[in-house]
Amino acid sequence: MDLFHGEPMFGAVRQMTHALAEQEIRPIAALHDRDESMPWDLMKKASSFGLSQTAMLDTRRITGDADDRGDKGGERKPGRAARVAVVGAEELAWGCAGIGLALAGSGLAAAPVARIGSEEHKQIFLRALKGVDEAGHIKVAAMALSEPQTGSDISSLATGARRDGDHWVLNGHKQWITNGRSASIYVVWAQTDASLGRGGVRGFLVERGTPGLVPGRKETKLGIRASETAQVHFEDCRVHKDLMLGADRVSEGLGDTKKMLDATRPAVGAQAVGIARAAFEYLLERVRGGSLRGKPLAGHQHIAFALAEMEMEIQASRLLVHRAAWMADHAMDNVAFASMGKAHAARTAQAVTTRALALLGDEALEPGHPVEKWYRDAKIYDIFEGTGQIQRRIIAKTLTGLNAV
Amino acid sequence: MDFALDDEQSLLVSTVRRWSERGLRTWAADADRGGTAPGPMWSAAAELGLLLDAVPAAAGGLLDGDAGAYSHLARALRGIELGRGCAALAALCESNVEPALAVARWGSSAARETLYRAIAADGAPPAIAVVAHDFHERLAIEDGGAAVTLRGRLGPLPGLALASHVLVVATGAAPVLALIPVASPGARVVPCDPAPSAWRAAAWGALELDGAAIPAELVLARGAAARAAATEVLSWMRVGLAARAVGVAAIALDHAAAYGRDRVQFGQPIGRFESIAHMLDENQTAVAAARLLVLQAAWEIDRGAASAADSASRARDLAARVVARATIDAVQIFGGYGFVNDFPVEKLMRDARPFEVLAGNEALSRVLAAVEG
Repeated sequence: MDLFHGEPMFGAVRQMTHALAEQEIRPIAALHDRDESMPWDLMKKASSFGLSQTAMLDTRRITGDADDRGDKGGERKPGRAARVAVVGAEELAWGCAGIGLALAGSGLAAAPVARIGSEEHKQIFLRALKGVDEAGHIKVAAMALSEPQTGSDISSLATGARRDGDHWVLNGHKQWITNGRSASIYVVWAQTDASLGRGGVRGFLVERGTPGLVPGRKETKLGIRASETAQVHFEDCRVHKDLMLGADRVSEGLGDTKKMLDATRPAVGAQAVGIARAAFEYLLERVRGGSLRGKPLAGHQHIAFALAEMEMEIQASRLLVHRAAWMADHAMDNVAFASMGKAHAARTAQAVTTRALALLGDEALEPGHPVEKWYRDAKIYDIFEGTGQIQRRIIAKTLTGLNAV
Repeated sequence: MDFALDDEQSLLVSTVRRWSERGLRTWAADADRGGTAPGPMWSAAAELGLLLDAVPAAAGGLLDGDAGAYSHLARALRGIELGRGCAALAALCESNVEPALAVARWGSSAARETLYRAIAADGAPPAIAVVAHDFHERLAIEDGGAAVTLRGRLGPLPGLALASHVLVVATGAAPVLALIPVASPGARVVPCDPAPSAWRAAAWGALELDGAAIPAELVLARGAAARAAATEVLSWMRVGLAARAVGVAAIALDHAAAYGRDRVQFGQPIGRFESIAHMLDENQTAVAAARLLVLQAAWEIDRGAASAADSASRARDLAARVVARATIDAVQIFGGYGFVNDFPVEKLMRDARPFEVLAGNEALSRVLAAVEG
C-alpha cells in the first residue's frame, strides 16, 4: 500500500498550502482570534489562488463517489480528492485552524450538493456564490444540520419540512452553523416525514433572503474564532419542491448526511494533526535553542521524551488520517479508519497543546501566545463533526456489530 | 486522624461558599468578558476579611499574632470555595496573603509600614500586593551588601496592574527576597492589554526592572536565608494555587454532572452513557485526591513539618493536572455548548492554565530536584 509516494501532485499541494499558511495565515491569526472576525480579504485572495470553495462541486473530486472512477478497460482509477484534502487541511490548520475553516467552510455545504444534488442544484449553488455580498465580502455557503437538542444525535432532528403544494415549509432552529450569519446559500436538513425516521430527513437549498430564513446570533467561542458559528432559524420558510436535494433519486435520507460526514472526516482529522504539529514545532524550536541548569533543554529526558511522545502521536494520527483518505480515494469503506483518524488526531492535538503549554511555562501566559491559541482551537476537534464518543461508538460497532451505550 | 471539619472550619467553608456562589460566580462571566473585577467585589472581599487576613492586627489587619498564627489549612479550605466562584477574582482576593505574611515574618518595620499602609488604604479598587517568583532566573541581581539592584522582566502576573508592592522571590545565583514598591525608580508595571485568555479579570501585568535599587530595609532576606524563606513563601503560594485549582475543577465537574443529567441524546440523559459516567467518575476521584493532598500540605505548613514544602509542591503538581483534565473533560461533556461562551465551562478550561505554570513548572522542578539531589 502506497498512500502518497509517487504522486508528485500531493507534494505540490502541500507546498502551495504551506506557503499560504506561512505567509498569509500565520501573520493574521492572532488578530482574527482576538477580534473573532472572519478573514474576508484572505478568503478572497485564496479563492483567486484556486482554493475555490466551490471546487468541490466537481463530483469527480468528491471522495468515494462512483463518479470518481475512471473507466479504462473496466479498471477503476483511484481518485485523489480525499488525499488532496487531507494534505491541504493539515497545512492550513498548521497556519490557523479557524482561518482554515473559514477558507473551507463552504465546502461543508458543497459536499452534499455535489453528491446528491442535480445538475440544476449545482448551478443554483454556484450562482449563489458568484460575486460579492452586500458587505462586499466573497460569498459563502452553510450546511445547517445540528440543532439545539440534537448535537450528536442527528437522527432526531426537530426541524420539520411540511409539504404545501409545490413548496416545502421549513420550521425549526439550527445551532453551531459554520457561516450561519454570512451565508448566501444554505443546505438545510429537515424531517419531511417523521414516520420514516432517519429516512425522512432531506436536504434543501435555501438562498439568503428567502422569507422565513432568519440568520441568528453569532456565538462567542473558545477557539477557531476566525470561523463564524451562528444560529439559524426557519419560520415558515417556503422552499420550492425542486430545491430538495436527491429528490430525483432513491435517497437514503439521513444516511446521505452520514456518508457526507464520513467523506469529510479525514480532512477534519488532518486539521487536528496540523494544530498538533504547529504546537510541537513551536516547542521543538524553543527546546533546540534553550538550556537549563547548564545543560541543553534537549538533554533533559523530561523535555526530550515529551517531544518524542508528541512526535509518535502526531505521526500515528497522520498515518490513520491518510489511510482513511486513501481508502476513500479507492472507493473503499473507510468508516472505521475515518473515525479512528479523527478521534486519534483530536486527542493528539489536545495532548500536544496541553503538554506544550506546561513545558513552555509562564511564557505562554502572554496575551496572544500562539500555543495558547492552538490549545483553545484543538478542543473543537473532539466535539464537532462527531464527538470523540461518537467516533468510538462507530469504531466499536464495526468491531462488535452493536451500538454501545 | 480526623477528616471532619471543626465548627469554625465548617462555618468558614459555608460562608465563603455562599459568597462564592452568590457573588463571585454571578460576576464571573461579565468580569471575564470585560477583563476587570467588579467594584462590589472589593468591598465584599474586605468585609469577609479576605484582603487583610494575613496582616497582623497590630498593623491594622485581622491576623491575631505573628505569621506563625496564620492558618494555611483555613486558607486552603477557603481557596477551594473561592476557586468554585471564579479563578480570576479569587486570585485577586488572595493576592495579599504571601507578601503580607512574608513581611510579617522577615520584614523590617519599614517594610511592614510601607506594605500594610498601602494595602489597608481605601481605594476603588484597593492596592494589592503580589508575588513574583523569578523561576527562570531572568533577573540580573546586584547585591551591594546594603541595597539590591534588579534588572529584568517578570510576568505576566495576575494582580500586578493593581499592585502597589511586589514581593520578588529569587532563588538563583544571588538569592533574595525583596519588597519592591512599584513606584520605585527603575521599576515599571506594564499592564497586559489585551488580557491573557486565562483569568481575564485578574489585572495582569509585567514588571520591568531597569536598575531598580531596593533599599536594605525592604530586602527581607538574602543568600541562604533568602533561599530558605523562598521555600516557605512558595509553599504557601503553591497551596493557595492548588486549593483554588481544586475549586475550579470541582465546579467544572458539578456543571458537567448537572448537564449530564439534563441533556438527552439517543433517548437518554448523556450522563447515563458509560463513557460519560466513567469520565466524570474518574475526574471526581482525582479532585477528591487533590483536595486531600492540598489540605494535608496546608496542615503540614501550619505545623512546621519538614515535609511541608514537598507536600505543597506535590499538591500543586497534582491539582494543576487535575484541573486541566477536569475542565477539558467538562467541555467535552457539554459538547458544542461547552465550546461557546454562554455556558461556563469554556472559561473554566481557559482558567485552568495558570495553575500549572505560575511560579514555575512544578513537574520539571520536582524532576530536577530528584536527579540533582
